[in-house]
Amino acid sequence: MAVTTGAGRLDGRDKATGATRYVADLVLPGVLHVAVVRSPLPHAEIGAVDGTAAAAAPGVVGVFTAADIGSPHFGRRVMDAPVLAVDRVRYVGEPVAAVVADTRRHAERAAALVEVEYRELPVVASAAEATAAAAPDVHDAPWDYPGAVVKQGDGPNLQSVVRHGDEDATAAALASAPVVVDAVYTTPAGHQGYLEPQGCVARVGPDGLVEVWINNKSPYRLVGQLAASLGLEPDRIVVHPVPIGGDFGGKGSPMAAPLCVSLSRLTGRPCRLVLRYSEDLSSTNPRHPTTMRVRLGADRDGRLLALRFDSLADGGAYAAFKPIASVNLHGMVEAGSPYRLPHRYIESRIAYTTTVPKGHARAPGAPQATFAVESAMDELAARLGMDPVELRRRNVLVDGDPNPDGVVWAEARGRQVLDAAVTALRPRAVPAGWRHGWGISLYDRATAPGQTSLRLRDDPDRPGVVAEVPIPETGTGNHTVVREGLARLLGLDRDLVRVVHVPTSDLPGDAGVGGSRVTASLSEAVERAAAAWAARTDREPVMVTLDAGGDSTRVTSFSAQIAQVAVDPETGQVRVLEVISALDVAEVVNPAAHRMQIDGGTAMGFGFAVLEDLRIEDGQVWAGNLGDFRMPTAHDLPQLTTVLVPGGKGVGALNVKQIGELTNVPTAAAIANAVAAATGARVRSVPVTAEAVLSAMEVAG
Amino acid sequence: MKISLNLNGEQVYADVEADSLLLDTLRDQLGLTGTKEGCGVGVCGACSVLVGGNPVSSCLYLAAMADGADVWTVEGLTASDPDLADAFVECEGMQCGICTPGQVVAAAALRRHHPGASPEEIRRWMSGNLCRCTGYGTIIEAVERYVGRD
Repeated sequence: MAVTTGAGRLDGRDKATGATRYVADLVLPGVLHVAVVRSPLPHAEIGAVDGTAAAAAPGVVGVFTAADIGSPHFGRRVMDAPVLAVDRVRYVGEPVAAVVADTRRHAERAAALVEVEYRELPVVASAAEATAAAAPDVHDAPWDYPGAVVKQGDGPNLQSVVRHGDEDATAAALASAPVVVDAVYTTPAGHQGYLEPQGCVARVGPDGLVEVWINNKSPYRLVGQLAASLGLEPDRIVVHPVPIGGDFGGKGSPMAAPLCVSLSRLTGRPCRLVLRYSEDLSSTNPRHPTTMRVRLGADRDGRLLALRFDSLADGGAYAAFKPIASVNLHGMVEAGSPYRLPHRYIESRIAYTTTVPKGHARAPGAPQATFAVESAMDELAARLGMDPVELRRRNVLVDGDPNPDGVVWAEARGRQVLDAAVTALRPRAVPAGWRHGWGISLYDRATAPGQTSLRLRDDPDRPGVVAEVPIPETGTGNHTVVREGLARLLGLDRDLVRVVHVPTSDLPGDAGVGGSRVTASLSEAVERAAAAWAARTDREPVMVTLDAGGDSTRVTSFSAQIAQVAVDPETGQVRVLEVISALDVAEVVNPAAHRMQIDGGTAMGFGFAVLEDLRIEDGQVWAGNLGDFRMPTAHDLPQLTTVLVPGGKGVGALNVKQIGELTNVPTAAAIANAVAAATGARVRSVPVTAEAVLSAMEVAG
Repeated sequence: MKISLNLNGEQVYADVEADSLLLDTLRDQLGLTGTKEGCGVGVCGACSVLVGGNPVSSCLYLAAMADGADVWTVEGLTASDPDLADAFVECEGMQCGICTPGQVVAAAALRRHHPGASPEEIRRWMSGNLCRCTGYGTIIEAVERYVGRD
């Protein structure tokens, strides 16, 4: 396999010694600290807000509400989220007022003294309640928000609806299919689980220049979002480079930035808000809880004929945290994509509820949709009396096949990863009286470069090159990719390539970290920059820009996972013994970082499958701290076995395929399928708890 | 109240309130920001420091309780023992890095308390420190490398 060894991480030593400065570690002269007064109710009208006692408390500079900051709203597409609640609160944890003080302690103590009167309104606790006839309105006129995609008359409380495919043809194919599985699957809300809470420091200078330090992974997008929200000129906003302490999809929204900028304007001093983790759990942008109905039809030889996929997701109080044009989740609209499906119809609805707003989490929508469809594949195999691997082999795309959207990939290596996963399987012993089973699940995800820019200049301090990048290091190793690519293409020792993340004022743009596009984008940008550098005739810096979409071939990667489980039939307890990940890869730039994306993804998929649940009930997040959310520890994890299927055709000069969102997606279905194989019991919800397994075993008899 | 700490081998003083946390005292008063606030409730381990040679969650530990004690943070531990950071750098035992100081402190404590720890004991010991990025493999290897060194 073509692998460069020893690339190393350029940020390793600073991180290991505690020298790396994250947003919470920055100290700006004269900084003031913000504490947020949050709603204790899921839905209420706001009456009088009395900040008198808080304003008189030690160190307090001011107590501010929507009236003081001019009632701005913000959003990544739909600008429906108030910076501070305007007249009404729509979730437990919604910011109602902000206290600004000389220290964090003073701000937090004073925030507890703010008295807010509420008049309770009906709770809309779930997407099902929200979309029922006569449901109370979460918003009076959601279609009026800038960026809204819904129209009056679309139905109650909708954030977005996507209808994709031919409904009638799919219905006809299902009606005549000899075998049809029709089942409903559910997944809960989940936090992304980054360990660094959301935080921001903003400074508005006397000249009106707005400077922001924030753990936001899309800083150029943030400039536009702040400008739109607060009525600022984009060229008067600078987002400074800050490393990010974990993202997993959750660090792409403006979060505290509009509030901190507003407060800095009012106080004339830098303002800082770093959330406490309990606030982060209850009031940021967790994964959408989803209910999905799958209708999957096949002929008696196991050839898929049609898929109808209907999902209803709880989008929470605001749609502001979804960035794509449809204000939906691409994972939902890609359900069933690894397969040849003559007919597919998808309807994905996302509803407003009076719960914490939902956002993106690593492969948005795909863990939910893949849990549903890959579970249904095994249910179909059982109905057909066919081996689940064989069912997938028969239907997975091979070279030249169009996927359900008509895309013909440069290569389709689904069978290879299925076979590699099965070949790696060695059944393990289980405790006496426990049952053993294994299950498989399949996923594919495209690698597509996106917008970015890069500047190379001579290093003033040594005979090397400085690469200025627009994108924060979220931990994936993207800055190391730039160093490695340039070192290779310019023939330089990697120590002579210095990678510097620069403020948004210094480069023209970047789409941000996400969509598994970063290594591919940077790979193409590095290729072009190196060519321009080699061709330059003077000592001037070289800058390259890459537009959205890039110009590469259509590349996808397949991922097959097998989970091996032991199940105690007395209690329903599931022990996951091993997860095997067989992955379609091209070249690997940094093997250690590549492996961590794989293992970390599988660990996240494992957590989603068997442990994690934010437990939103009656409009309230019940996982009050990180212990309640139950993220996996080193000791919880099963054996993680990786089989790389090398030789793929990737993107750019580095010939890469994405890896970051391949392994967290299929895990839950692999585990549910393994439990079904072990016990005959089908669990159609995650997390797959002992209680769920036991009750499914009772159903199965 | 005034407290004194033997912090990373140096005598320092801090003026704290009765309910000041050791975490905030280290970060805000003493300028040692290597110690991180994660969950704030003693679950994630990002705020781990050594007090009297034992690992504690400094987000749950009152500064006043550390009065007169030996306190070591990631900065001091890695400065006094180059092998410690080297093990993590060589094994690439980090991604975003926010949990890394806590992992490093836990590794230092492990070598102090269980110098010959087995791989199973290492996994158990390190399970007090969450990491969302890595899947733990490279972290465990870094700890194994460090603990296995003389």
